[in-house]
Amino acid sequence: MKNMLISGLIFLLLTPILYSQELTGEDIIQEVNDLMNVQSSYGKAKMTIVTTSGQKRTFIYESWSKNKGEKNLVRYLEPRRVKDQAVLMLNNADDIWMFFPRTQRVRKLATHAKKQKMQGSDFSYEDMGSGDAFITDYSPKRLKDEKMEGYDCYKVELTRKPESDMSHSGLILWVIKENFYPVVIDYYDGDDPTRHEKRLVQSDIREIDNIPTAMKMVMYNKNDNTQTEMELLEVKYNVTLEDSMFTERSLKK
Amino acid sequence: MKRLIFVLAILLIFLSSLAAQDKVEIFGYFESQIMGVGLESQFLQLFSNKLRVDLKSTVSDNITFAANFDYITYHGKTKWDILDFLSPEVVSEVPDGMESFYVLPFSDRHFLDNAYIKIAFKHFDLTVGKQQISLGTGYVWNPMDVFNVKDYLDPTYEQPGYNAIRLDVALGSSYTATALFSPDDTWRNSAKLLQLKGRISHFDYSFIAIEKVWRFHDYTQFDYENMNFLELPERRQLLGASTAGELLGLGVWAEYAYNWMEDTKDFYELVVGTDYTFDFQTYVMLEYYRNTLGKTDYEDYNLNDWMRMLAFEQKAISRDQVYVFIQHPATDLLNIGLSSIYSISDNSLALVPTLNYSFSDNVEIFAYLNFNFGQEGKVYAKSMGNGGLIRARVYF
Repeated sequence: MKNMLISGLIFLLLTPILYSQELTGEDIIQEVNDLMNVQSSYGKAKMTIVTTSGQKRTFIYESWSKNKGEKNLVRYLEPRRVKDQAVLMLNNADDIWMFFPRTQRVRKLATHAKKQKMQGSDFSYEDMGSGDAFITDYSPKRLKDEKMEGYDCYKVELTRKPESDMSHSGLILWVIKENFYPVVIDYYDGDDPTRHEKRLVQSDIREIDNIPTAMKMVMYNKNDNTQTEMELLEVKYNVTLEDSMFTERSLKK
Repeated sequence: MKRLIFVLAILLIFLSSLAAQDKVEIFGYFESQIMGVGLESQFLQLFSNKLRVDLKSTVSDNITFAANFDYITYHGKTKWDILDFLSPEVVSEVPDGMESFYVLPFSDRHFLDNAYIKIAFKHFDLTVGKQQISLGTGYVWNPMDVFNVKDYLDPTYEQPGYNAIRLDVALGSSYTATALFSPDDTWRNSAKLLQLKGRISHFDYSFIAIEKVWRFHDYTQFDYENMNFLELPERRQLLGASTAGELLGLGVWAEYAYNWMEDTKDFYELVVGTDYTFDFQTYVMLEYYRNTLGKTDYEDYNLNDWMRMLAFEQKAISRDQVYVFIQHPATDLLNIGLSSIYSISDNSLALVPTLNYSFSDNVEIFAYLNFNFGQEGKVYAKSMGNGGLIRARVYF
């Protein structure tokens, strides 16, 4: 009986280690994908661009997401210059519409528009709303575990699939072992896979509605020597959102 | 003037008190602009200041009121002699003694540009009042848009509001039907519009039917009673279609409209465009435009053609044109671009380098230069002069 208890205890202690060792890159990325793409969400964020000359530009926007990131709506609140401008992304950002309130015009954009910088920031629209792109557009490979930003992390390399039109040739993610949250993501140039383009560092990770959430994100642009900070002012998960909210008619409201 | 200032002051106090109660949002912008054109040995300058005040109020969950008031002042060269820009052959068509009428005046203006109520129901929106009407998928030209003519030098500038009643009905999540009525003095003269918009795969498409009276002028005859050139109202009926989507990774759009005219010759307009953003952030756009009202030989351009184009009554006088636009973010705050417009029909070209700079969160500077390379008499003729514009806009 005593031997059985000791064996059981050893098994229980070893399970996480064995489990973590057995996890493949695919398993880790699947966990990350499931975590990042909650059924529905609402957020209000403050985005601050810091330019090479040290000047700052601040934007505040609201965003709504449904069907695990398949539908996204972003609407700017500040500054006045862009107030009420809105972006609707459907089918994991394969369909994009932009609304310009000054001209009351809605413009349909092709997927290449995802590469454009969001209001001149270091985040592209692709970075903001590509749904399950980690799974569909990249092939994962697990690298040697590392400590990053004080967390024990899985390190996973993602390589762009040949048929994908994503603008980055590859990504490296440091994923917190405890909760599968990607605390750091490195982005590599679309044409030159050895060229490190940007780094996203996520911090102030809190449990909101039992979902780990980084309240602060900073994207460092290695090429331009600029950075963009994103601060979540408000976030809610699994909110009820009507499908009618993600239409061109709603975009104009 | 004193009376206007008094009325504005009272209005401002009233609106401020409403705003203080969180009932009305007040915002808008102030725009200061310098425009210049080098013509022969002189450089002509026009300065303008524009104050736009927007009001927006959510009266209840489903009722919104929005309006904007524009106050514009002009200084410098406020009367442009149009004949200075036209070829001697065209000028020779001007009737004797009428030379002084061919002046484009820039007079101070203040007006209610938009003022409407929007009532949103679950399945439809009703918008009543003066409102912008934006139709079509084209960037520089919109064959389906019988209300507005864009300026190719500044195609994204806001358009004026029109009195209209508009009903948008949602038909499922992918289709919308729109009915619009823009009243005039009689039912017959009022504009009527029906549109169906939908989505199939990654393509948006729309079909449209419009009836509207086109109020263009005969610029060789003067109506002394109305102190303007003779108006030639003519009923226009239009059937059109548009699409926008993606093909082989490129953004693509097309827009077509056939126009049945009551008295003059029927015509059609067609736009086909494509765009792409490269990984290095450079954006490229190309748009082709055909308008069969336009002519294929520049020697056929007459005084009416030129005047109608310069007065934004007619979209083009040359039949086939191509617009190319390239833009690149030089820094986080500065976008530089180059647009060029080429008339295939008369082989003339205009180049327009552009600059957009974010001076601060709510201050932006826009500038362009305009160089024409065509022979005299062509649509983008050197003799039209080279010029430019600098615009600073402060949002509040």
